[in-house]
Amino acid sequence: MRVAGLFSWGLLVAVGVAALALQAQPGGRTLAFSLAVGAVLGVVLQRSRFCFYCHARDWFADGNPRGLLALVLALAVGTVGYTVVLGSWVPVPTAGQLPADMHIGPVSMALVAAGLAFGAGMVVSGSCISAHWYRLAEGSPVAPFALIGSAGGFILGFRTWNPLYSASVADAPVVWLPAHLGYGGALALQLGVLAAIAAWLWRGFAREAPGAAAAPPGVPGLREAWRRLWVGRWPYWAGGLAVGIIGAFVIVRMRPLGVTATLGSAARSLAQGQGWIPDRLDGLDSLAGCATALQATWLTPNAVLIGGLVAGAFIAALASRQFAPRWPTGRDAVRGLGGSVLLGWGAMTGLGCTVGTLLSGGMAGALSGWVFGAAVFVAVWGGVRAQAWRARRAAR
Amino acid sequence: MTTAALRFQRHLPTWRDGLYALALGAAIALCGTAFAATPVPQGPLVTTDWLAQNLDNAKVRVIEVSVNPGLYERSHVPGAVNFSWHSDLNDKVRRDIVGKEAFEALLSKAGVAPDTTVVLYGDTSNWFAAWGAWVFDIYGVKDVKLLDGGRKKWEAENRPLNNRVPEPVATTYRVASVNTQLRARLSDALAVAEGRSDARLVDIRSADEYTGKVFAPAGVPELSVRAGHIPGAANVPWGQAVREDGTFKSAEELKKLYAAAGIDGSKPIITYCRIGERSSHTWFALSKILGYEVRNYDGSWTEYGNAVGVPITNPAGTLWAAK
Repeated sequence: MRVAGLFSWGLLVAVGVAALALQAQPGGRTLAFSLAVGAVLGVVLQRSRFCFYCHARDWFADGNPRGLLALVLALAVGTVGYTVVLGSWVPVPTAGQLPADMHIGPVSMALVAAGLAFGAGMVVSGSCISAHWYRLAEGSPVAPFALIGSAGGFILGFRTWNPLYSASVADAPVVWLPAHLGYGGALALQLGVLAAIAAWLWRGFAREAPGAAAAPPGVPGLREAWRRLWVGRWPYWAGGLAVGIIGAFVIVRMRPLGVTATLGSAARSLAQGQGWIPDRLDGLDSLAGCATALQATWLTPNAVLIGGLVAGAFIAALASRQFAPRWPTGRDAVRGLGGSVLLGWGAMTGLGCTVGTLLSGGMAGALSGWVFGAAVFVAVWGGVRAQAWRARRAAR
Repeated sequence: MTTAALRFQRHLPTWRDGLYALALGAAIALCGTAFAATPVPQGPLVTTDWLAQNLDNAKVRVIEVSVNPGLYERSHVPGAVNFSWHSDLNDKVRRDIVGKEAFEALLSKAGVAPDTTVVLYGDTSNWFAAWGAWVFDIYGVKDVKLLDGGRKKWEAENRPLNNRVPEPVATTYRVASVNTQLRARLSDALAVAEGRSDARLVDIRSADEYTGKVFAPAGVPELSVRAGHIPGAANVPWGQAVREDGTFKSAEELKKLYAAAGIDGSKPIITYCRIGERSSHTWFALSKILGYEVRNYDGSWTEYGNAVGVPITNPAGTLWAAK
């Protein structure tokens, strides 16, 4: 424990030194900010075990609403934050004028297919791409395969992009809710929908056995409070609150949160170099979302954010004794690779994943974010039902 | 108790206190003068220092014209208005600069009056801010200046930025005259290429674009089917006109730079680039700083390099879509 603790302090110092060094680079202040935000996000995701798939599975399989309520909270907090920021960027929202860089994409059948594929990929590989990043830092044997498989899925996505673009994306409407309802109307609608979802999820609590573990009375000492940060997991709501706040804060200094842009760019660069994908991907680089345009340098805010996320999650995993590397089995490899091909294809075709499209898009008031999210959860629901059916058949 | 202590206790003013008060008043007045609006400098440029002292000057309207979206929204010079180069200063349908009525509406909304000093600035050393200055000049806006060094210098000097969008009191701006003499057309460029005009062409693109090795800079779409340059054009990449900090070189240095390429102002000049925006930067240096007679060819290489039946010079011999 002492060694792990020292190591996590050392890593924290290394992140600080890296942030200082990044400041000297062009655009260094944004890079240092990205690293810091990434590290905080990594700690939050790891400590609260924020995971779209696990949260959804807890509800669909066990009726435990806590995880999905945390997601609803993240979306609600982020939506309020985005409304405040975007309201100052585009004071009068009008159709045809979108706030710069926000993940507001076209709503098409391709987006629905992307969401379904991404949801299925989460079921097979055991989590979404953001969770694979933080699980990588926990020593997960599946995560490395999942990230490699996602890159493969991206390449498949690039290969199928041009026909999909012509068939469905090019003419699809790009709907930014504030442009149609005003900021107040869009905020009311989104919070209303989230409140309705929360009320529906709340039924899950009624099914639970009466609470046995009441919180001990009194205020814990400082030492005890510190210890609790690194034991077990944070409450679900803490993860949702933190993700919502980070999501909204981030857009003031950098592009919206997304965890696939760097992976997608790397896959595109590799595939283009090998001639596996078309040179021209119709309209792709003009669409909003997790950009996969070829990068001249790897020192981009998104790459640094991912680096920070993995480092932050590693620090948290070490400090909480949850760093548990295990040698992968063949099953791990097949699960990781197979599921994540679907994740990658979905994230490429949907111009982002559960973070970039669902969270960042939904918070911005993009209809595309909500449609993608709905498709993802329908797929997870189906996947969980299928798993349960298989388990019952195997038990017979 | 001493007399001084007594005086302190009773707060009785003395002649010394009076002197202190006078001195303090004078100092405040001096500082006030120093921080108050300073006269608008002559010439086409303002310094970051001057702008910093004039942010609250009601007669100054600061306008950002940047190439990269999202910059203004995240942070800008306090009080600056944002003009989008592709949707505000360009016509949304025609390939043309913004129409007269739309330009009037734009300036009215931004609170520009006939006696306003407009200060334009932007990213990438004022590329598109200079293009904005060209559009403003065509529509006869009287007092238009560039912030020397643009965003780059302002940020490098750690000057204040915020992301609040100002709400200026709208005016009713009317364009008095349109100066079409500042624009060169395809026929003007062709006349030079065919030796029917004594104007001098300045190609401000990179040497690789000029020689035809590449069709467009890395990362931007290839928009022309031919590479190379307009016959007779001199190549002076735009970046040579600025210093490391993004400010324009001195008039003397600029004079030397262009004279070395045979551009000395003795003949009319036409500047061009790929789509006509970067060339405005050189148009600004040559016409506003050196006072030469200059027209910007906004059709630029995308128009010329695609036009049927016009001669080009392509030393590299590249052919489009052939490897």
